[in-house]
Amino acid sequence: MPEFDSNSIIDDILRKGEKIADEVEVVFGTGKSIHASLKGREIGEAGGSTSWIFCIRIIDDGMIGSSTTNDPERWEECLDAAKAGSKFAAAQEWGGLPGSSATNGTPESVFDEKIVLDSTLLTGYIEELLNGASGYDVNVAGGGASASSSSFKLANSAGLVYEGSKTRVSASLETISGTSTGYESDSSCFADRLNPFDIGEKAAYLASHSVGAGEVDTGTYDVILSPIAAAQLIGGIVVPALSGKNVKAGRSYFAGKLGEKCLDESFSLRDDPFSGQGSRIRDAEGVPTRPLDLIKDGVVNIFTYDLKTAYKYGEESTGSAVRSGSSPSIGFHNLYFEGGRQDIFDEKALYVHDVIGAHTANGITGDFSVETSNATWKEGGSDGDAVRSAMLSGNIFEMLKSIAGVSKEPRELGNVIMPSVRFNNTRVVGK
Amino acid sequence: MEEPKYYDIRHVCGVSTHIDIENGIIDSAGSSFFDVALLRVLGRKGWGLVNIENFGSRSKREIEGFIAEAMRFASVTDEEIVLGDAPSGMLSVPKIDGNPADVPLEEKCELLKSIEAAARIDGIISTRAGYSEGSSTVYFTDSCGNEYSYPVCRSGYGINAIAGRNGDMQAARESERTIGGLNMYHREHKGLEAAERALKLLDASPAKGGIMNAVLDQELAGVFAHEAVGHASEGDLVKEGISVLKGRVGENIGDSTLSVTDDPTLHEFGFMPLDAEGVKPMKTEIIKNGVLNSYLHNRQTLALIGDGDAGHARAEGGAVPQVRMSNTFIENGDSTYDEIIAECRSGVLLKGSRGGQVDPGRGVFQFNAEYGYIIENGELAGMIRDVSLSGDILKTMHNIVLCGDDLRLNQGYCGKGGQSVPVTDGSPHILLKDAVVGGQGA
Repeated sequence: MPEFDSNSIIDDILRKGEKIADEVEVVFGTGKSIHASLKGREIGEAGGSTSWIFCIRIIDDGMIGSSTTNDPERWEECLDAAKAGSKFAAAQEWGGLPGSSATNGTPESVFDEKIVLDSTLLTGYIEELLNGASGYDVNVAGGGASASSSSFKLANSAGLVYEGSKTRVSASLETISGTSTGYESDSSCFADRLNPFDIGEKAAYLASHSVGAGEVDTGTYDVILSPIAAAQLIGGIVVPALSGKNVKAGRSYFAGKLGEKCLDESFSLRDDPFSGQGSRIRDAEGVPTRPLDLIKDGVVNIFTYDLKTAYKYGEESTGSAVRSGSSPSIGFHNLYFEGGRQDIFDEKALYVHDVIGAHTANGITGDFSVETSNATWKEGGSDGDAVRSAMLSGNIFEMLKSIAGVSKEPRELGNVIMPSVRFNNTRVVGK
Repeated sequence: MEEPKYYDIRHVCGVSTHIDIENGIIDSAGSSFFDVALLRVLGRKGWGLVNIENFGSRSKREIEGFIAEAMRFASVTDEEIVLGDAPSGMLSVPKIDGNPADVPLEEKCELLKSIEAAARIDGIISTRAGYSEGSSTVYFTDSCGNEYSYPVCRSGYGINAIAGRNGDMQAARESERTIGGLNMYHREHKGLEAAERALKLLDASPAKGGIMNAVLDQELAGVFAHEAVGHASEGDLVKEGISVLKGRVGENIGDSTLSVTDDPTLHEFGFMPLDAEGVKPMKTEIIKNGVLNSYLHNRQTLALIGDGDAGHARAEGGAVPQVRMSNTFIENGDSTYDEIIAECRSGVLLKGSRGGQVDPGRGVFQFNAEYGYIIENGELAGMIRDVSLSGDILKTMHNIVLCGDDLRLNQGYCGKGGQSVPVTDGSPHILLKDAVVGGQGA
């Protein structure tokens, strides 16, 4: 970890920040990570990093400025840059940074003290990945494993000090047989919850099963989106539409629809900050988190806010701030997709394992058109013939008005917990 | 301690600046500081890597410690790596007419405001404009005694406009990025263009999917050059066996009208005076008159695969170099735009890009146009929206039957391997027979 006294620098930033602005906030994040990457079946590179960053935000007369630096000796310059930036931001209503107010629950731990960041952890994972793949006649193209341990400290001039730590392990494998490809990955906060053998086996199965895949005629079919495919389309289109910032700025499908039943009555979307890989008791600006029923039984129930957006529009922060750079933004902690759980794999449908091009969807309207990856016919709970190429088109909001069912067992994809989702009568462009 | 067979350090430091304007109000503006390096050592077999935070203030002794740490990582590798010979060197960096970093933030805010204001016309319900600027210095040094450094400032803006009517919404976007200085002067018309197109899209029909002839404009055909051709020609993917272009050098893989080039020496957004391994960049003709001519390489894939040029290694600051494109484009042909539309007869004209993705091992690509027009009897008819294109790379290249004479380049970012690097894509208009067009219209 860093060879400087971060606590002392945080105190200095708060002290000086209070002299030049009404309020100041500092987040110090640090982490150590290691990784090993497969090139074919061999480890081609291995490495590690120790990283840190100071994120400073100041609020002065309702004007907000922020800056970051990874140089502990430049914190004053960073503070000055935050102050300089604030002069250009429009003044807004501001009700203060959060103090050490009461919190709402007990988040599950996301820190595994048994994880030791040693390369042997990764070589062990990689051996299991390759063992898992060995049952199929495919070539390993790439993949790898990584492990990390990170911590943060948030402190502000309202007296709040909030600290947390997190560990993470992950593994992935990429396979190919002829021109059939397969990719699988998984991650966990706990070493003993990662199963690299299964990851390798699944990646190899996907490439193997797609060998000799047939075509599909253009038409309308019952389609099942795997958790991976569903998470890309729903996470990329529906979740941003629930952000209070997008709603208030007039660029959300859900704007003006709070309290309205917009989607299938079996469908609920919930952010649970206390259960999953993104668990935390306060959000990225220190506001206590709480479970949010974003969509409840098809009804748009609540929009998500950080402090800045909430104060600006006279709303209340929902504890939804996340941070990937200098400023907080609106996000979620652990997203749960709920629907009518049933046996959706009985009747014949086109099962789509993954999609190519989900990011090209129209985020405003929900229209999308994506190419499928590792698609296969599925019936009676079993995979049938694989489909080489099929383009899936639709509008995700329209599709979510009529969900034919979701699988009984959801899958954890990082901090998104998603089942397979069945949609009947979906447009497919084939050959 | 065992000595590395080779090591290099790529250090990037500088200042990033951003401005965000939303519906006429500056949402945020300011600067942040970065300073990071990646140390690579070649051990007995493979690479050992150490990412070093705040490299600028490190002592020689600390760096020796990092080399030892990287060697420990390298000790777990088992891939034998040989580095091909490639000329070390640096191209001259073009002088720019005023460094954006020297322009006061206040002036940049005003310029962006004027572009954003131009988009707020009747019928537009939401606007958002952003400016980003990365002013950095790149330092490279290696164990062979090579040392280089160069400054670069990449900047640009984007403007989004959303039109609304009776609950329907449509969005359009314009953006421009450059290495040539501040590009926001007198660009109000770009804000207006975004707004007017968003309004027109309210009346556009959803595209009807199917197999049909398609004319791709310069931007979308440029995405094809990048996604479908460029990625599949990257030596690391060829090496791992996940490119459909593996083993096809010298083979006729496309119509004779098709030539595709990657040229990092061009003073465009993807320009680099030095690649991430200290190799002097050079122009590579990937496809020449329909024949696969060269792969893009780093030193390792050059040694292993051959049939191409090194000098195509690129990396974000602190990240591992990958084989990447820079300025990639389909060369001009000799057809005029009018000839291409007429020859299409019946089909679609696809314009603009919302991005794309490729599975180069499977040889399948997908990308989305911003909008388009139906072509009937060789003439443009109604406007369409939400139209995409997918297909098989090899089959599609044989189906490009006409290339226009109106090459144009567009700037963007490529996200291979989780690293974002600046690129330029380009093409003239092209005619694609039997394209797989996606859309949900009836």
